[in-house]
Amino acid sequence: MRRFEQNVNEGSLGFQIAPMIDVVFVIMLFFMVMAGSVQVERELNSQLPGNAETSGATDFVDEQVITIAENGEVSLNDEPMDSPTSRELPRFRDTLGRLKKASDQAKAPCLVTVVSEPNAKYARTIDVLDALAVVGISNVTFTVGEEE
Amino acid sequence: MAGGGGGGEGEPEFQIAPMIDVLLVLLIFFMSITTTQVLKVDKAISLPVAPNAIKKDTSRSEAVINVRWDAAKKKATYLMDEKEYRDMPDLTKAIVSTKKAGEARVTKSENPTFRVVIRGDREATARSVSRAMNAAAEAGVSDISFSSVNKD
Repeated sequence: MRRFEQNVNEGSLGFQIAPMIDVVFVIMLFFMVMAGSVQVERELNSQLPGNAETSGATDFVDEQVITIAENGEVSLNDEPMDSPTSRELPRFRDTLGRLKKASDQAKAPCLVTVVSEPNAKYARTIDVLDALAVVGISNVTFTVGEEE
Repeated sequence: MAGGGGGGEGEPEFQIAPMIDVLLVLLIFFMSITTTQVLKVDKAISLPVAPNAIKKDTSRSEAVINVRWDAAKKKATYLMDEKEYRDMPDLTKAIVSTKKAGEARVTKSENPTFRVVIRGDREATARSVSRAMNAAAEAGVSDISFSSVNKD
């Protein structure tokens, strides 16, 4: 008790710089680690089909139709691609890449319509749009097939 | 000029004050980048993952439709600016008014860059997202963006 009283009486409580730097370092490290794992919002763009007024002739382009079944199966022009559980869709991406190359060489726009079954999961649509974003196809339209 | 001394006179020594300045700036930088993105997203929605999607364009005027999904009832809820819309015509009207406000803010003429951003839950069905798209189409907006996150 005596020793404690002496300390209080003897010196003033000065501002200590070393512990402050320690604390700031720890907080900074915490935020640096958090910055690496933070989720960033991204976007996938699409255009709804419109009725644009044109005065000149319209070029007809090849339209690729991608269908998404309720079980998650993805088909390109009625040909099933990959397994319904595959999220990366490697075969689908390869085929789309070839189509994109072919349309680029022909200097024609590559138009893609994604038709999903009404009860198919939205996340599956995003998988398909993500695959389209990888190969660089930007003319994408998304519709939902009518119920029977 | 007396205050700026120290150069050439003696040994260069470690200065604590500028170091604290730098540390605080770094701290504020990391604090800001970790908080800005997280706060804007509706906590009730888990966005689907799309690692290859492009970075969000924040320069355009937009209307954000949040599509929440109730797994138990298998029903979607539509929210715009934290207000729930049960009927699609009401949602269409809200998009139209947001579009008008966006147009007035950017240019006096029609604003071609206006778009609708759909933040849909990953468990939602395509039909529920399609209803939000229909509302946007009826409001005269054909530019639709789907929101996603870069990782789980």
